[in-house]
Amino acid sequence: MKALPWVTLAACFAAAIAFTSVANDYYVFVMATLALTAMVGIGLNILLGLSGQVSFGHVGFYAIGAYTVAILMVRLKLGFWIALPAAIALSALTGALLALPALRVRGPYLAMVTIAFGFVVEHSIVEWEDVTGGQNGIMGVPKPLFLGEPLTERDIALGAIVLVALLLVAFSRLSRSSWGASMRAVKDSEVAAESVGLNPIAIKTLAFTLSAACAGLAGALFSPLSGFVTPSSFAFLQSILFVLVVIVGGAGTVSGPLIGAAIVVLLPEVLAGLAEYRLLFFGALMLGVLWIAPEGIVGEVLRWVRRRREAVRSTTSAGALPGALRAQAALEVDGLTIAFGGVQAATGVAFKALPGAVTSLIGPNGAGKTTVLNMLGGFYRPDAGRVKLGARAIEGAPAWRIARAGLARSYQTSQLFGSMSVLENLVIASPERAGTQQAAESLLAFVGYRGDLYARAADLPHVDRRLVEIARALATRPAVLLLDEPAAGLSREDKAALARLMRRIADAGVAVLLVEHDMEIVMGISDHVVVLDAGTPIAAGTPQAIQQDPAVRSAYLGEDQGRPAARRGAAAPAGPGLLDVGRLEAGYGAEPVLKGIDLRVATGELVAVLGANGAGKSTLMRALAGLHRPVRGEIALEGENLTRLPTHRVVASGVVLVPEGRQVFPELSVLDNIRLGAHLRDELSEADVESMFERFPRLRERSAQRAGLLSGGEQQMLAIARGLMAKPKLLLLDEPSLGLAPTIIRQLFAALDRLRDDAVTILLVDQMAGLALALADRAYVIDGGRITAQGSAEEIAARGALEKAYLATG
Amino acid sequence: MQSAWTRRSILAAAAAATLCTALPALAAEPIKIGLVTALSGQSARAGEAITRGLTIAIDELNASGGVLGRKFELVRRDDEATPAKGVIAARELVFKEKVAVLFGGLDTPVSLAIVPIMNQAKVPFIGPWAAGTPITKNGANPNFVFRVSAVDEIVDKAMLQYAQKNFGTKKPGLILINNPWGASNEKGLRAAMKAKGVTPAGIEKMENNDVDVVPQLTRLKQAGADTLFMVGNVGPSAQVVKSLDRMGWDVPVVSHWGPAGGRFTELAGPNAKKVHFVQTYSFYGNQRPVGQKVMKMLMAKYPDIKGPDDVTPAVGVANAYDAMHLVALAIKNAGSTDGPKIREGFFKIGTYDGLIKAYDKPFSPEVHDAITENDYVWTQFIDNKIVPVGMVK
Amino acid sequence: MLVVSAIITGLGLGSMYGLLALGFHVTYAVSATVNFAQGSSMMLGAVFAYTFAVRLGWPIAPAAAMALALCALYGVIVELLAVRPFARRGSNAWLMATVALGIVVDNAVLFTFGKEPRGFNMPWATGSIPVFGIGVSPLQLLIPAAGVALAGALHFYWRRTRGGKAMLAVVQNPEAARLMGINVPRVISGAFALSTVFAGAAGILIAPLFNVHSDMGTVFGLKAFAVAILGGITSAWGVMIAGVVFGVVEALITALLGSTYTQILSFALVIVVLAAMPNGMFGRAEVKKV
Repeated sequence: MKALPWVTLAACFAAAIAFTSVANDYYVFVMATLALTAMVGIGLNILLGLSGQVSFGHVGFYAIGAYTVAILMVRLKLGFWIALPAAIALSALTGALLALPALRVRGPYLAMVTIAFGFVVEHSIVEWEDVTGGQNGIMGVPKPLFLGEPLTERDIALGAIVLVALLLVAFSRLSRSSWGASMRAVKDSEVAAESVGLNPIAIKTLAFTLSAACAGLAGALFSPLSGFVTPSSFAFLQSILFVLVVIVGGAGTVSGPLIGAAIVVLLPEVLAGLAEYRLLFFGALMLGVLWIAPEGIVGEVLRWVRRRREAVRSTTSAGALPGALRAQAALEVDGLTIAFGGVQAATGVAFKALPGAVTSLIGPNGAGKTTVLNMLGGFYRPDAGRVKLGARAIEGAPAWRIARAGLARSYQTSQLFGSMSVLENLVIASPERAGTQQAAESLLAFVGYRGDLYARAADLPHVDRRLVEIARALATRPAVLLLDEPAAGLSREDKAALARLMRRIADAGVAVLLVEHDMEIVMGISDHVVVLDAGTPIAAGTPQAIQQDPAVRSAYLGEDQGRPAARRGAAAPAGPGLLDVGRLEAGYGAEPVLKGIDLRVATGELVAVLGANGAGKSTLMRALAGLHRPVRGEIALEGENLTRLPTHRVVASGVVLVPEGRQVFPELSVLDNIRLGAHLRDELSEADVESMFERFPRLRERSAQRAGLLSGGEQQMLAIARGLMAKPKLLLLDEPSLGLAPTIIRQLFAALDRLRDDAVTILLVDQMAGLALALADRAYVIDGGRITAQGSAEEIAARGALEKAYLATG
Repeated sequence: MQSAWTRRSILAAAAAATLCTALPALAAEPIKIGLVTALSGQSARAGEAITRGLTIAIDELNASGGVLGRKFELVRRDDEATPAKGVIAARELVFKEKVAVLFGGLDTPVSLAIVPIMNQAKVPFIGPWAAGTPITKNGANPNFVFRVSAVDEIVDKAMLQYAQKNFGTKKPGLILINNPWGASNEKGLRAAMKAKGVTPAGIEKMENNDVDVVPQLTRLKQAGADTLFMVGNVGPSAQVVKSLDRMGWDVPVVSHWGPAGGRFTELAGPNAKKVHFVQTYSFYGNQRPVGQKVMKMLMAKYPDIKGPDDVTPAVGVANAYDAMHLVALAIKNAGSTDGPKIREGFFKIGTYDGLIKAYDKPFSPEVHDAITENDYVWTQFIDNKIVPVGMVK
Repeated sequence: MLVVSAIITGLGLGSMYGLLALGFHVTYAVSATVNFAQGSSMMLGAVFAYTFAVRLGWPIAPAAAMALALCALYGVIVELLAVRPFARRGSNAWLMATVALGIVVDNAVLFTFGKEPRGFNMPWATGSIPVFGIGVSPLQLLIPAAGVALAGALHFYWRRTRGGKAMLAVVQNPEAARLMGINVPRVISGAFALSTVFAGAAGILIAPLFNVHSDMGTVFGLKAFAVAILGGITSAWGVMIAGVVFGVVEALITALLGSTYTQILSFALVIVVLAAMPNGMFGRAEVKKV
């Protein structure tokens, strides 16, 4: 079964060779052109398919190869067998040189650098007349001598076909080798590649060099085949056709460029009889092929095959952490400080993570935890402070060096190499870049991964991504392991398993540094807890000490911040329901985050939704606002079904979300932000704007300023004002107090209290459970994607369920 | 009801189509005539002109029964103005379609790339346009390449001679298109000037899409150019005239035949008439009977042709028309469609009263160019019409 | 004199590159995609305007307006056929699809409009007025003025109109824009229409100085892409300024060093500038987030 593609390919090549041996001169030449185009395509595939870099200048390398051979053979009378390696070497060298500017740019900027390169080569050929023959090129390039006899076009065509076959095998081996895997790793996630110790610059330069060498080889054969070289054979359009070869065939696939070359070369021949209408039809047919197979023909076929493949599971059983560890080392952090555009994101962070212990870094959202991890991992360069791994200072070093020094990490949003298999993800991460499959399998067993070993990482369910990412981090054999919210979005059972896993990793002698919101995990497995608030450490100690620390309680629960007057709420909604949510399910990928939410909001109510981070609160809000689609179940506003509506239609029907993190339009003025809120209303009444200014007087003072310059609290007020401008029937507020100072939070909640008095119907999600409950009529508590408690605000506050959910007390 | 009608009409059409394709098959196999030229892109119009000249001649020949009892059939391929495409197309026509002779297009590099293939395959290759000198003087023996068109080398000598005689040129400035055609003439003009001991004021190049050539022209002006030698297609040539207008520089312009490629007056404005350019043929003015006949046939065949204004570029039509008739004569002389025999047939052509001139033994083993320097006419554009210089004051 | 004339030449051409590049900027800002065949859009503007003004004899104002309206429609079609089907699936095949569509359009025009270049002669475009002792076509002064005016109009549209602000909102935060009730797909479609209108306007402006044919846009489109990138494709004024700079530098190289070096030097400069400033001259770096 696995050999079938290779058998098919071998049969194709045998047929091509047989056909070329007997065909007339026209078909021989077409076959040779096809082979040369495929060669360039295979080379470009290294760049585009493996390392993810685009080049619209490959005709430049092709031209360099062709002209080197022509010049050496015609001008210097050298033999082909000397000219050929020279041509390949010169192309490869140019490729390596082009990589220098090309590595500094990405996306459209990279495209432009390569386009410019192609033009520089083409015009240099035109103008360097003494050597290149200028516009008229070089005629009469002799055929190569082989055993004293000149080769015929047929010989060259056959040789080229054999070379293509060899290049395909070589590409396939490269693709599966550690270098190929490194290229794909860089393509999938440059960040993660660095964090397993790969140096993207070296890898991309290699890809450019190899790719250019292939194009140079094809060019070197082109010269004697056609017998002439002129600049017009190396025009920009040819570069586009080369990219087309790879994209139509399927970038990254082994046989893609072959299929692509066949289409790009043979299709015009089939259409030749159309004479002047050929290009018209060629363009239209290409558009058609792209519509049918946007991932390329081979890419689409593979996708289809993948869906049909049987899963392969490991039989290795779990045991102790396999593989030898490096020498144990502690991570010592002292005075770590960084600011972004004047905002102090971390100030004087200091702690010590010891081998064999779990050290947790906790704090409310926006406290700077991930920023600290990014400084430790080398993605941000700290403004001040020291980081020592064992005896070695690592602050400010590039990420891949830090990774090689023994610090591994996982990410908040999974950064697996999505196009690679689970096994490949681990193999590439091992320090020798070619860890054995055996070692990888036992690591996967150790972390508790039971899935398909050959599944593409991008297709994994959420929980498996977490596990594989941890396994990959372990594959680097780290002394220190940083884990960024590994439990987010996991079910209760999975969380428990994860907690045990982290403990086992620590017990094996690794220093584990954990950033996590789930307090049950943190308090359950930590040896030492460090609490950050607004970028500053506010407490450190054992879990028990932290749970009782008043500063921590205040930062987390918003206690003792002066509650607004509590309002008497009813246990069930009074009056007719405005919003009815029934059996709502939503998720990312295979794993649902919301597992059947039932919820009602009546007109004029303020309802709070509470729960720990990762419980599904934000997903609920996004689902209600139409940002998260598709969802199952029912969302009805006054009987109108919203489940299938896109966001702008949901807004039109009267549900407006004030999103987490404010999301104001930073370059627009405050006034423009407010006015945009009324985008869907035909009449824009200045009186409405005025009423917003009355409600939030600070905004009036700042009305002409760019919203990006406002403070966090002002931005939050602006976001709420913007939401109110739509005159919503229901206002959804997602984490309005996030990252704000206590005094600002008090002002904000006072403003929300006034809204409540103005009979605006509100559904509120906030970390500050105490404040939210003080304001709300009723509340729901979500845990693990389900409603676990509901009732009047007082009932919920009294039950103590919250403290358990938030701080894992009791 | 409607579908029944549709089906019947499809059946009728299919029957008609079968009949149409079957009928010629009953007669002798047609003689295939190949054409490889640019049919799309910037030079599409030129390719169409060659097509029209060949088609008119083939229709005329077929109406009188063809040659050797066989009719002619034209098979065309688009080379997209690139040698690589042209080479494949030529091979297809020679080896797959098995054409008796192959016509080339207007791009010298494409023709130069095709020449070795034709000499190797021993199939005659006829150039109705591309003027590059080495196309016919390619050093092959036997040489299967013939041409019914101008030759750069000779045109360049003629340009210098004309300029010296009419404008007393001492220090010409060259403004050339940056493509192989421009390069070929740069070489030819340099040689011609060297032979006459003339040093140019400067040599400047322009691109096909240059909107404004004032910078190049200003350099030539400051270098003291007293005449401009211009080589470029109709578009860039018009940009030169417009740029001269803006600069207010009144200088004689002697040009290769580029301006004839389109509506030069429309593109360049009234001062288009300042440009004197070389032609092999003009449909304006008093025509000999052959000219009147061809004009009539063109108007009958192509509804968009209302008069000489619409026959652009005229050289393409005229050269192709005469070349096709010469080919027919060569095949007739050969008595076969075998390549080497046709080649011999070319040498046996006696007289032929063509459009451009009355040919008398146009080809010999030494001479493969039917048009000589005596056949060039110097013309200018007046109100979108090409008229011989001096006819209108 | 050489330098002055080169600068005037460069200003006219450069503003036209700028206009085309502005078209790249508009769609890139909103959707991170561009129409790689922007040259075809420019050509369509000139071809439509010629058809209405010369063949059908309309006055120039309605002819240009109608041509721009058709360009806008073409922009919507490009987005619908060659961008949306791919961008929606996260595929970058729109790169190739827009090129393919451009080939189709260029050739369709070749067979409908005609194979000959046509002169688009407008009385107000011909003639020469002296500026600093150098003859200049009125149009050469009009193009920079029109370029600045159109860039200004874009600025006004963005800053002062509801639709424009909606577009800016999508640029800055697509998700928050959706929460304002803004129909983001429609805004993207509108951005492509706007982009094509800019290209069409450039085509109409340049046509009387140049000529009209199916292939006229290719080289301009490519240079405009270089300009858009040099300016930093995320900055509207950046691409406009880069256009003028590129045009003037190109003309100065031609005037001072000779046309031999124009192409090599201008493209080599592109590489050097981008190596030194990886986000273009006025572009903003994207923030790296983990």
